Amino acid sequence: MKNGEQRIEFTLNGDKTSVTFPTFKTLLEVLREELNLTGTKHGCELGECGACAVLVDGKPVLSCLMLAVEADGTKVTTVEGLADDARLHPLQEAFADCGAAQCGYCTPGFLCTAKALLDKKPDANRREISEALAGNICRCTGYIQIFEAVEQAAAKMAVKK
Amino acid sequence: MAKRTLRVGYPGNYREIEVDSPDAEPAPWDADSKLAVVGKRSPRLEGADKVTGKAKYTADVKLQGMLVARVLRSPYARATARSIGLAKALKMPGVKAAIEVEKEARYHGQAIAAVAAETEAQAEDAVAAIEVDWAVGEHVVDVEAARKPNAPRVHGGKNPNERGGEAQNTATEEACVTALKKSHATVDITFTTPVVTHSCLESHGSVARWESDGSLTVWDSTQSIFGVRDGLARGFQLPAEKVRVVKEHMGGGFGSKLGMGQHSMIAARLAREAKAPVKLMLTRKEEHLAGGNRPSSVQRVRAGADKDGKLTCLWLQSHGTGGINGGANCAGPLMSLYNCPVRRLWHADVITNASPAAAFRAPGHVQGMFALESTMDELAGKLGLDPIEFRKRNDQNEMRQAEYGEGAKMAGWEARAHLPNSGGRHKARGLGVSASIWGGGGAPGAQARCVISRDGAVEIQCGTQDIGTGTRTIIAMIAAEELGLKPEQVLVKLGDTTLPFSHGSGGSMTAPSVTPAVRAATAAARGRVFEACAKSLKADADNLTAKGGNVVAKGGASIPWAEACSKIAGANVSEQATRAQNFRGYKDGTAGCQFAEVEVDLETGHVQVLRVVAVHDCGRVVNPLLAESQINGGIIQGLSYALLEQRILDDATGRMMNANFSDYRIAGPKEIPEISVVLFDVSNGRTNTGVMGIGEPPIVPTPAAIANAVAHAIGKRITDLPITPDKILAALGKK
Amino acid sequence: MTSPFTFWDARTAEEAAALLSKKGAMALGGGVDLLGEMKEGIRAPEHIVNLRSIPGLDKIQKTDRGWRVGATALLTDIADHADLRKDLPGFAESAEAVATPQIRNQGTIGGNLAQRPRCWYYRAAEFACVKKGGKGCPAEKGENRYLAIFGDGPCHIVHPSDCAPMLVALDARLFLRGPDGARDLPIADFYELPSKNALCEFTLKPGEFIEAVEIPTALPRSTYVKIREKDSFDFAIAACAIAGKIDGDHFTDARVVLGGVAPVPWRSVTAEANLRKNTIADAVEPASNSATDGARPMSQNAWKIPMTKAAVARAIRSFLPR
Repeated sequence: MKNGEQRIEFTLNGDKTSVTFPTFKTLLEVLREELNLTGTKHGCELGECGACAVLVDGKPVLSCLMLAVEADGTKVTTVEGLADDARLHPLQEAFADCGAAQCGYCTPGFLCTAKALLDKKPDANRREISEALAGNICRCTGYIQIFEAVEQAAAKMAVKK
Repeated sequence: MAKRTLRVGYPGNYREIEVDSPDAEPAPWDADSKLAVVGKRSPRLEGADKVTGKAKYTADVKLQGMLVARVLRSPYARATARSIGLAKALKMPGVKAAIEVEKEARYHGQAIAAVAAETEAQAEDAVAAIEVDWAVGEHVVDVEAARKPNAPRVHGGKNPNERGGEAQNTATEEACVTALKKSHATVDITFTTPVVTHSCLESHGSVARWESDGSLTVWDSTQSIFGVRDGLARGFQLPAEKVRVVKEHMGGGFGSKLGMGQHSMIAARLAREAKAPVKLMLTRKEEHLAGGNRPSSVQRVRAGADKDGKLTCLWLQSHGTGGINGGANCAGPLMSLYNCPVRRLWHADVITNASPAAAFRAPGHVQGMFALESTMDELAGKLGLDPIEFRKRNDQNEMRQAEYGEGAKMAGWEARAHLPNSGGRHKARGLGVSASIWGGGGAPGAQARCVISRDGAVEIQCGTQDIGTGTRTIIAMIAAEELGLKPEQVLVKLGDTTLPFSHGSGGSMTAPSVTPAVRAATAAARGRVFEACAKSLKADADNLTAKGGNVVAKGGASIPWAEACSKIAGANVSEQATRAQNFRGYKDGTAGCQFAEVEVDLETGHVQVLRVVAVHDCGRVVNPLLAESQINGGIIQGLSYALLEQRILDDATGRMMNANFSDYRIAGPKEIPEISVVLFDVSNGRTNTGVMGIGEPPIVPTPAAIANAVAHAIGKRITDLPITPDKILAALGKK
Repeated sequence: MTSPFTFWDARTAEEAAALLSKKGAMALGGGVDLLGEMKEGIRAPEHIVNLRSIPGLDKIQKTDRGWRVGATALLTDIADHADLRKDLPGFAESAEAVATPQIRNQGTIGGNLAQRPRCWYYRAAEFACVKKGGKGCPAEKGENRYLAIFGDGPCHIVHPSDCAPMLVALDARLFLRGPDGARDLPIADFYELPSKNALCEFTLKPGEFIEAVEIPTALPRSTYVKIREKDSFDFAIAACAIAGKIDGDHFTDARVVLGGVAPVPWRSVTAEANLRKNTIADAVEPASNSATDGARPMSQNAWKIPMTKAAVARAIRSFLPR
């Protein structure tokens, strides 16, 4: 490891992962550049749009505002890790079915944030959904289909249980 | 040309017309066509890619040996770089190329120089090391200041910043004065609208790679792959076929990504210099500073109506700024929506030291409709007429007339005088309406190729691009319809200039331009399959149809699609078609109307939009799921424009002050109303599919409908967008 | 964001204080504000000292003096803490009012209290204003619609924190740790007007950082009302924190602190007096109207006066029986 670099070990989408990177890099940059997980997106760089949201220890956080070194020892889930093997997560299915992913660029951040909501509150209503997603910007869909998708996924997950 | 009789119109109002359609094309669909795939809700074909993070955007392209570029931008609104010193930057670690872009800076954020380095951090450091000897000049960013005779000339020389004049085919000033004098009711109101930025979630960007044969490949976040190709070919003086532009997925454009952007040229220049592929994605701040915007407007409207509620005069004097560009004219709705015997328009583009405007979802119409439809409500008030009734008396579009009826029912227009509210004397509700108007009929020239292989595989090749609207999916649906297959059985190739030509995706043109070509190509290829398999079915090729996954003969004999295709001699059949001119069909534009219900907080001036009812027509709806999504999205952008968004420039320095997403406010999940969409089904007989565009229409009426609802709620009209709390508080006299 | 800083995981408070004494060192909590400033090019630390690596610094616990909340406690955890919310409803509300759910999952209470202002001129690297050691305030003749109506310059920022006004109303004490040991002070004394120090809104000696905040439970009734322009995500246009004691239909003790309108959490003694001498219902008008006494709006921000009154009125009304 060179001067000015860090090495961390963490669980990334279920797999033990270690990675070395320049100290100043954010988790977003390390995911995309060092680990080739480009599902998580750059949107604003200042924590104002939610496009870079990932789950760290189950909670949605903005990976553009988190130094990657802080992820040491954590469990990180990105959009690439939401599916169970080849089976899509109900939220992913619902986002695809309901047309909640239009241009799709904001979708990974919405999915990760919505997953944390349904994990915590499986019967979330429309108001709670918009509250939980308040940090995510979508410029295409008008959000309606995103809300519908979260509701559809919640209903599906409730039936499964 | 073949004469064909089509049934056109809308439910309750159909008529037969005769059109001339090209012989080679299949018979146009009309109101009587029974379709199996088209018209059904169908999820996007690439949905799985988008929800798993597999979908690749330009920002996600990673090539062997790829460098990262950063741009030095002018910190001044007007300055001249006496010199641009790149030497120090070039010696920085990892830096492989540095170029000068422009010495004359005419707006804050203009690209001056650029570098490419092995990492983004190195590129940023190198940009900071570029030495510019600036001579700071005088700028002007305020529209009114820029109009003054002594204002600094933005483009130098003697040309005034204000460039305008009277439009043609309008009445004289005297005729207007006379008409207004004779009117029973008149209004004279000045409306203003702000500059807003497109704020696409994926910024503008390119990845450029020079190939060993001297050709150039560029991955670009663009609405127009051929536009970028032609721009680059011109820029590098290459034959067009030496440039290939690819765009698989894109994170929003809204007009700002039509045509080649400067970043594409910069990336390609750096790549040539560095002899390595270069990626350049703009940052959010750059996106606000230089990624395009909707021009501002100041619109003085004088209008009159007679006792019968008929318009007597529409007079508009407008100006606005698209920064160093023009394009601020917003008279479209006023000049075309209503019947009016006397009309006059004077418009000026005001050039300022601000970043150049770009097309933005229904250019001009959003600003213009806000002024026109606010005016209509004020006039209706003076006449004592119901706003819808007043509109209907002046609107000859029978589609919109019918749409008002449907929308009014859903919006509860009858109960408008007695709306409840949630906060007693601290809240007030209002319900407003606005008309919509747009073209969206598409253009000839788009091409598509259908390749059907011996194994039954179907591929549509079309050099259009899916900008998120669902073009991939509707192309597959059109082809599937023709072939009796399911959309997922059709592989769609698009977003690559090696494919047959198609236009840029702007002007709500894509679906109406592309679908007729796809349908014609598919029908032709299907004909070849029929010829190949006719013998096996002991039938004439002319008597075969494709449905339900089979090829079926008139007598009832049938074979599965794959078996039919196995009769193809050779590897495949391939047919290409070019989209013909529009037929003289039923209607050449789209109508539509929207209703907005708002609740205004009388203490804080906060406006919450509770509900929007949107009635829109777009010819034949290929996929309601996608069409509704366009409408929802247009409404939210319109809401955001009406209530939140504005670019703010510091007058003293000309710098943009809110170039981020916290101070430049975009509607988020909590700003969202309930939305009810009515897709008003119109058979228009204009092409073989009858499809019209729906990308732009839904943003056109939203700001006006919201403004009218606010006026209804508080009894005062806000004429200046966005309708922020300070303006409501001022209108209510709160101190 | 390429400043070549060295990153340190502090293991103890003492170690953090020692590390923070290095030249160019800055404390990292959730990073929300620090990384933002670095990316905006207005801050380039040489050392970043992570406080979240200090075990137990994120604890939220009830003590015999009230509640003690460690500096790295997440805003989400404060907002979601049921017992704390029972005792200090206004504090939980203020934490919940911050930014967006994701930011509350990252942001710490220490970082929220020591966050830097959002003034556009301060945040833009192109301007050298008095807050950044330059001269004058370009906002005075420029864009000041969101800036202060109190405080009289020479810098007109508004303090962006939602929790700070509430904690001032609740009479909280801040516990600071530095190379010379620990000290504590009323949170109101932590903040300084620009006339005293234009460079920074708060008083930390070299190497010092916030270790915890202690909130007495002596004022059992509290609320925080925040008015935003955009509900999904916004800093306060105006906010009002009230903490007090209620006996029947009136306040026997009341502290009213305004947010979003002054360079520091702005206590309104006149509103407090009006609140104490009337029934709650009768106090709405006089207290909210008097809350803006002494306000001196700038060229574009007079609208914040009715906004502030609305925040105060709404906060008071929230104590009325429903």
